[in-house]
Amino acid sequence: MKFIVSSTYLLKQLQVLGGVINNSNTLPILDNFLFDLDNNKLTVSASDLETTMSSVLDVDSDNQGTIAVPARLLLETLKTFPEQPLTFVVEDNNTVEISSNHGKYALAYADGAEFPKAVELANPSSTTLVGDILATAIDKTIFAAGNDDLRPVMSGVFFQFSPENLTFVATDAHKLVKYQRTDVTASQVAEFIMPKKPLTLLKGILAGSESDVIIEYNDSNAKFSFENTELICRLIDGKYPNYEAVIPKENPNVLSIARNQFLSSVKRVAIFSNKTTHQIRLKIAGAELNISAEDIDYSNKAEERLTCSYQGDDMQIGFNSRFLTEMLNNLNSDDVSLEMSLPNRAGILTPIDGLDEGENVTMLVMPVMLNS
Amino acid sequence: MPNDFPLRKIIHVDMDAFYASVEQLDNPDLRGKPIAVGGSSKRGVVAAASYEARKYGVRSAMSSVLAQRNCPELIFVKPRFERYKEISHQIRNIFYEYTDLVEPLSLDEAYLDVTVNKKGNPSASLIAKEIRQKIYDTIGLNASAGISINKFIAKVASDVNKPNGQKTVNPEEISQFLEELDIRKFYGVGKVTAEKMYKLGIFTGKDLKQKTLEFLEGNFGKNGSYYYNVVRGIHTSEVKPHRIPKSVGAERTFNENLSSEIFMLERLDHIAEELEKRLKKANIAGKTVTLKIKYSDFTLNTRSKTLAYYISSKSLILETAKELLYQEKLQNSVRLLGISLANLNTEKKEKTTDKESISVQLKFEF
Repeated sequence: MKFIVSSTYLLKQLQVLGGVINNSNTLPILDNFLFDLDNNKLTVSASDLETTMSSVLDVDSDNQGTIAVPARLLLETLKTFPEQPLTFVVEDNNTVEISSNHGKYALAYADGAEFPKAVELANPSSTTLVGDILATAIDKTIFAAGNDDLRPVMSGVFFQFSPENLTFVATDAHKLVKYQRTDVTASQVAEFIMPKKPLTLLKGILAGSESDVIIEYNDSNAKFSFENTELICRLIDGKYPNYEAVIPKENPNVLSIARNQFLSSVKRVAIFSNKTTHQIRLKIAGAELNISAEDIDYSNKAEERLTCSYQGDDMQIGFNSRFLTEMLNNLNSDDVSLEMSLPNRAGILTPIDGLDEGENVTMLVMPVMLNS
Repeated sequence: MPNDFPLRKIIHVDMDAFYASVEQLDNPDLRGKPIAVGGSSKRGVVAAASYEARKYGVRSAMSSVLAQRNCPELIFVKPRFERYKEISHQIRNIFYEYTDLVEPLSLDEAYLDVTVNKKGNPSASLIAKEIRQKIYDTIGLNASAGISINKFIAKVASDVNKPNGQKTVNPEEISQFLEELDIRKFYGVGKVTAEKMYKLGIFTGKDLKQKTLEFLEGNFGKNGSYYYNVVRGIHTSEVKPHRIPKSVGAERTFNENLSSEIFMLERLDHIAEELEKRLKKANIAGKTVTLKIKYSDFTLNTRSKTLAYYISSKSLILETAKELLYQEKLQNSVRLLGISLANLNTEKKEKTTDKESISVQLKFEF
């Protein structure tokens, strides 16, 4: 087995695939890239058992063969090379020899057959959307997903496809984001929960990409195909919470405010908040928003007043400043609206401007009950 | 009487027909006549009756219509709580001349711990006599008193020689006193408990004493051990000069019975507003909201919900009360609605050493 490939081209692909590989693996074979050569096509795969990603590379070869090459060693070596052709030759003594302009390097390889096979999707449904839209959907939601091992469903992003729209939801039970596209639809109704790791990988690869992504899915797995790459992952098993039920329907108190101004005030005031609760207090009366925080233990205190536009009863509500900061940071609009009903009900944060046609973002945040 | 606790000297002072007596004091025309404090309307209730009226069987909490029927000459007087409060305050000041350990139970009742007193008088009986005399001399009202070694016996004893009398239960008499006591006279035994006691063959203190702790706990739960102890003269509760309220509430009886929840919401709004006012005044908040529903047949229904956090604002009280109202179908038309808030943040400070400012991050109810 022998092939010739451009060093930078190979490195670029391997760096993307390397994201799949865990730092420590129970199965040593997973520390490798799988090289599957079929004449001019080299398919490189990486896997952590949950997620398998592979890319097809054009190489110069007239051989076939399958080997597993140590990922870290290979990546470290490739990083040092300037652009040049590299020749990979599999030797008899279980090593693969790489020849560069500078010299020769031998790496021990494992038999490719040991590498776990990616699952085949049986009877998948499919939907196609532009890479950048998917990347945006992931970016808008993934920060709100939880880390609670006891509620694994909430550690992922909920994909809800229908002929009317595509909806992406993430929540950690304190905050919730619902991102909806009515300009992209699916032929059938489908729902599945994607784990965070493959989504983070996809987000990185697809940001700004104009290529189409084909999403195929069944009850247990999903496959994302784009350009020369495929990502197959296991879905999170379980029923996603009925998030619609927690979105308050009647929210008579509506605050509109410049996002940046609000965000910087929250950030500043939050410095003075209690270090464990990060609690800040919003007091809204008339056209004035009063943001305050206090850390009784250290006698630290801050208070800011902002002008806002407000409709509703005077109210006082407490929030975790981290949640508000994350959410406000994640939006891109100039102005935002915060709708509220009661101090123990979720506040609804939405952008007022800056959305694409067919794009919809709803963020919910549960308050902190102030013990006044 | 075997008792490991240091003997205390507790006086329970109870004003005789307090509201009615105040009215008779202020208005000489009413003296010697059967009067009832309370509303005379068809939905009114007697808050207090003078002794003259009691002879006719007029009792407090009786409906005004029934009271009038029992005693056609009955004169109804509108209550003037401000005035009662003022007099109650004067009475309390007399108590303070003897001890600072005064625990008011209501406007007309209080416990006094005179084990150590400002006058250096070793006789609680004489102190009680002096206090009653002083109340009569300075204010002109009669009071009764019970004197013993704990609050429970003092309270029961004050009823023995009522009105205008007092009863001392000395330590050596306690056993007999409690054994002979009708079970209905035990403080803490109401109508319902008394009936239950009867069914279990308990009619007097003696009967109660024969029951084992396990038996009483099995039948009366937590109260079982209370009954077991008090009948043995054991009641260690101290006279607490600053009684911290356990709950704060507000309620309203309606002119017309209400049958639809929609009308009740409006009333709840007012009640919640009143409750908020009271909470603000005392600067407290609570976690448990209780909705009290009294049906037109006087049966009582309470529903409560405990939240994870303290609330004191009208909007949240109302929200929870509404939830409780809709929680279960009403069985009848409603004559009274009340909202109370318990599990107050004042209790917490006493019990736990935690910092009082605990804020709670709420979660979605998935």
